[in-house]
Amino acid sequence: MEQIRKQITEFITTNFLFDESITLGVEDSLLDTGVIDSTGVLELVAFIEETYGIKIEDEEIVPENLDSINNISLYISQKLSQLTADKAAN
Amino acid sequence: MNPTTQRPNDPTNLRLCVRCILPETFPNIKFDTEGICNHCRQEESALAKAPAKKADYRRKLDDLIASVKGKAPSYDAIMAYSGGKDSSYTLKLLRERYDLRVLALTFDNHFVSPTAFDNIRAVTDALGVDHISFNPPWPLMKSLFRITARDDIFSAATLLRASSICTACIAFVKSLTAKTAIEMSIPLSAFGWSPGQAPIQSAIMKTNASLIRQNQKALINSLPDTVQVQMKSYFIPDIYYDLYKDRFPTNVHPLAFFDYDEERIKIELEGIGWKAPTNTDTNSTNCLLNAYANQVHLERLKFHPYVWEIANMVRQGVMPRAEGIEKIYSPQNSEQVEYARKKLEL
Repeated sequence: MEQIRKQITEFITTNFLFDESITLGVEDSLLDTGVIDSTGVLELVAFIEETYGIKIEDEEIVPENLDSINNISLYISQKLSQLTADKAAN
Repeated sequence: MNPTTQRPNDPTNLRLCVRCILPETFPNIKFDTEGICNHCRQEESALAKAPAKKADYRRKLDDLIASVKGKAPSYDAIMAYSGGKDSSYTLKLLRERYDLRVLALTFDNHFVSPTAFDNIRAVTDALGVDHISFNPPWPLMKSLFRITARDDIFSAATLLRASSICTACIAFVKSLTAKTAIEMSIPLSAFGWSPGQAPIQSAIMKTNASLIRQNQKALINSLPDTVQVQMKSYFIPDIYYDLYKDRFPTNVHPLAFFDYDEERIKIELEGIGWKAPTNTDTNSTNCLLNAYANQVHLERLKFHPYVWEIANMVRQGVMPRAEGIEKIYSPQNSEQVEYARKKLEL
């Protein structure tokens, strides 16, 4: 999970964090702090799908999964675990 | 000869990515030893898979339309219709390829070019589409545009992709489109976004009520108190999130996954009466405020507000690099800039 958190932080810092006055904590809301907007969320989804090879369903694109670095990292970890379990079952 | 303004964006004085057209002034950009930017490198693997993904999305749209067509009480789709080239072409696609019952909605921001209104009439008549225009009072729009012209009130990430003025206007368009779809039980809301405006993953997407709610809240909070109350009435009311949670439409922007060729699009549209306007800037075919919005953004942030979108299109191969450079690095027309500045009394 630490590796995922690091990759997500790097992606957000490179692509969205241009306001030097914002210090982003891992629990901070990306939408409320204005770091990410609606199009940014979609870019984040594209990055996650491409990087981790997972499919994010429309109904999973909710603030609970994608609104902080910690939530995103936890969500990806769970999706990857699920993917591994599904593969093992098949 | 066109009158021109100063060139804060002159490519001869700027280092540009040799693959796309992003400039050295674009925030956080890095160039490698070959002169290729980090955004181009980041997109390489996704671009390699793009043709298969586009085919997949065309099938996905076919399936979605088959599942909703003819089932809603009045319309199958609402189209956010500016009268510009891309939304006109999307409307044509929805009518001619899919034979959908479409309601076209135009947000009149008081800067829609008269040619765009002529085009709206010609295209909706030719395609047999019902059309409504939404026109908020000029004092409110003037106040909003004056605020957004003077200050970058939105987040830095938002301003990478659009000017402050455009962002305010598009917020109206998105909210009104969603609100009308919800109120009229229209299952699809369509946009004419170009292939560079948003990732393909969002090209067919069920609108997510909780995400819209949080986004809307963040956007309203960005506005000064003086316009917040007035603006709020144009956004989706809180009660809708519970009362109509099953009516939130699926957003589609088909140009992200259909073949996109600006010249061919213009030729096809001319066949149904659309005419290219001569009084808009290089990045708009409907709005007389755009040149001023671009100029203000360029002066303040030192990069063009359309460069992210056009760079994406160049990277995807749907626009030649030279054409992208011309669109982004040509100076703004000073007559158009002055027209908007005077109208806004700035």
